[in-house]
Amino acid sequence: MPRSLADLKAGQSGIVLRVVGDDTIAQRLLDQGLWPGAEVKRVLHALGGDPILFALHGYRLAVRREEAARVQLEDGVPA
Amino acid sequence: MTGLAKLKPVVVALVGRPNSGKTSLLMHLTGSPQRPVNFPGTSVERAESMTRGGGVAMRIVDLPGIVSLQPGSRDEQVTIDYLRGHADVVPDVLCAVLDAGKLAIELRLLQRLRELQRPLVVALTKVDVAAREGRPVDAAQLQRAIGLPLVVVDGFTGAGSNDLRDALLAAVATAPPELRTSLDPVQLAAEVRLPGRTTITATDRLDRALLHPVLGPLVLAFVMLFVFQLVFTAAEPFVAVVEHAQDWLSSILRDALPAGALQSFVVDGLVHGLGSIFVFVPQIALLTGLVALLESSGYMARAVFLLDRMLRKFGLTGRSFVPLTSSFACAIPGILASRILSDERDRIATIVVAPLMSCSARLPVYVVLLAAFFEPFTAGFLLFLLYLIGPIFAAIVAVLLRRTKLRGGQSPLLMEMPVYQRPSLRVMARMVRSSVGQFLTAAGTVILCATVAVWALSYFPRDAALHEDFEARIAAVPESPEQESQRERLRSEERAQLLEQSYLASIGKAIQPAFAPMGFDWRHTVGVLAAFPARELVLPTLAVLHRLGDVEADPDAPDPGLTEALRHATDSRGRPTMNWLVALSMMAFFALCSQCASTLAAIKRETHSWKWPLFTFGYMTALAWIVATAIYQIGSLMGYGL
Repeated sequence: MPRSLADLKAGQSGIVLRVVGDDTIAQRLLDQGLWPGAEVKRVLHALGGDPILFALHGYRLAVRREEAARVQLEDGVPA
Repeated sequence: MTGLAKLKPVVVALVGRPNSGKTSLLMHLTGSPQRPVNFPGTSVERAESMTRGGGVAMRIVDLPGIVSLQPGSRDEQVTIDYLRGHADVVPDVLCAVLDAGKLAIELRLLQRLRELQRPLVVALTKVDVAAREGRPVDAAQLQRAIGLPLVVVDGFTGAGSNDLRDALLAAVATAPPELRTSLDPVQLAAEVRLPGRTTITATDRLDRALLHPVLGPLVLAFVMLFVFQLVFTAAEPFVAVVEHAQDWLSSILRDALPAGALQSFVVDGLVHGLGSIFVFVPQIALLTGLVALLESSGYMARAVFLLDRMLRKFGLTGRSFVPLTSSFACAIPGILASRILSDERDRIATIVVAPLMSCSARLPVYVVLLAAFFEPFTAGFLLFLLYLIGPIFAAIVAVLLRRTKLRGGQSPLLMEMPVYQRPSLRVMARMVRSSVGQFLTAAGTVILCATVAVWALSYFPRDAALHEDFEARIAAVPESPEQESQRERLRSEERAQLLEQSYLASIGKAIQPAFAPMGFDWRHTVGVLAAFPARELVLPTLAVLHRLGDVEADPDAPDPGLTEALRHATDSRGRPTMNWLVALSMMAFFALCSQCASTLAAIKRETHSWKWPLFTFGYMTALAWIVATAIYQIGSLMGYGL
């Protein structure tokens, strides 16, 4: 099972590999900048670990854990 | 261009992602108040304004924010239909509003907009924010790279808006932009980036505290408490002014018009109806102003973030927080605000539970009943409970709905956390004006009609003999200032007796058995019945009905006011009709019952069907009856009944 955005720890970054699925939610994730190659950093999360705040392309995006799990990351040592 | 075409205004559509600064741009471009215009066939509104540039009239349309050309909510659907030319007006020029702070993502949307093949001008906003965040942008190089007219505009001062207006006019009837599919947004954004160091920004530091898992919710609780305190305390003097104006107008008209049906219609029907509409304006204006402040400063998105997990447990979403908060002032702006919800089931669940939030029309009822039957300390505690009971039942209803009729489908959150910014007073003023205007036109007309209808039911049939009898008794009282209170008392008694013979009282007495389990006597039932079109009608109705009891008892006592009248009210056999238990049951009934025709009309408009307003009316009234009956019956078993 490849790592996903939801697996990042606070302060860690990753590079998006792909978004799983081709439904409207997958389309929305792409439209919000989670396209392959995008560098994403996990900033913080709300009480209970959901939703999560990410930093990408110079802006901040709140994503629920459920949706974050659909964004797979490239293998590699997290920065 | 032909001579005829020149007469028609040039239509410019402002389009961009949410938070890109479209609304303040519209303000700077036109400098005039917007008039909200409904899109035909939908309830979503666009704001548009007229302006002139180089002698040409321009019509500038502010569209709801989009992230792509695939609609994700009703708001976005409207924008996309409009851009594709499916609406009544086809825009001549598109003005893409791009936030320089997050260029890569903005340029992706620009790629999509190119596909529409319409004249396109770029307005680059928040260049200062980009610099502060450590990513300054070379606007000249960006313009060369995208090959489109580009103007830098300052959303706060409005600098650059004249150039933008000229660029928009120049772009009319030019060839549509070429498709540059080869442009990679990320690469392009990196190319036009000036050297700068990404540092920890003020927004990052603020978020560390305001989005802290423990501290964040605490701050949010204080912010909400502060907002509600301010809405209720600061609106008070304005409400007093409205009431004073109503009394003043009533007394003038009462003197100017001959006594009879016309005078009663104008004073008790029209003026009172108008008064009960305008009395809500201060609170609606204050609350919308505060919500606009929270929104434009960027804090509202943080509240949504903090509350998302909890609201999801009830089948709603973090975004439901905005409409539900507005509903504490008035459910109508709340219902309109639910358009921001992308999933239709989330949206309907939010609309259906929004009227359970205790709106400002319920407060006067609580205040009078609490003052009449409870110590101040208990009263304060009960008031808190009355405000809590709505959200609690809202959670239950939302959970049930989302597990049955509205099962499935949950919209993703996927929400941008905007950079904190100084809120613009002009944007706030615009939002207040728009929501007050919407309330006055949509809700106002319904309240006015309902007030007039209740007036007619309570005025007719008029017993002429009874009226003449009282006229004779009043005439018999000696003409002297000392006897004025005696005459006033007789007039009150006449009003009460005439009301008791009215159609409204007949209906009230007929359905009294249904209300008896809650401890109501027929007068309470009539009051509650009168309040079904609009809650605020209950107090004047109760006031008129309750003068009856103590007229005979002590004609020389000063006017006791409604609080005292309720406390000492007795029925025809001299037994008390009200105690604290009945008051409690009545307040619970008001807290939960659907007594607002304009809310139901708003639900009908927003859901495009009669199903949801009928359902809302049904479940709220049933809930109110069950809870009030339970309170009275359990209290009676414990020996506190009448």
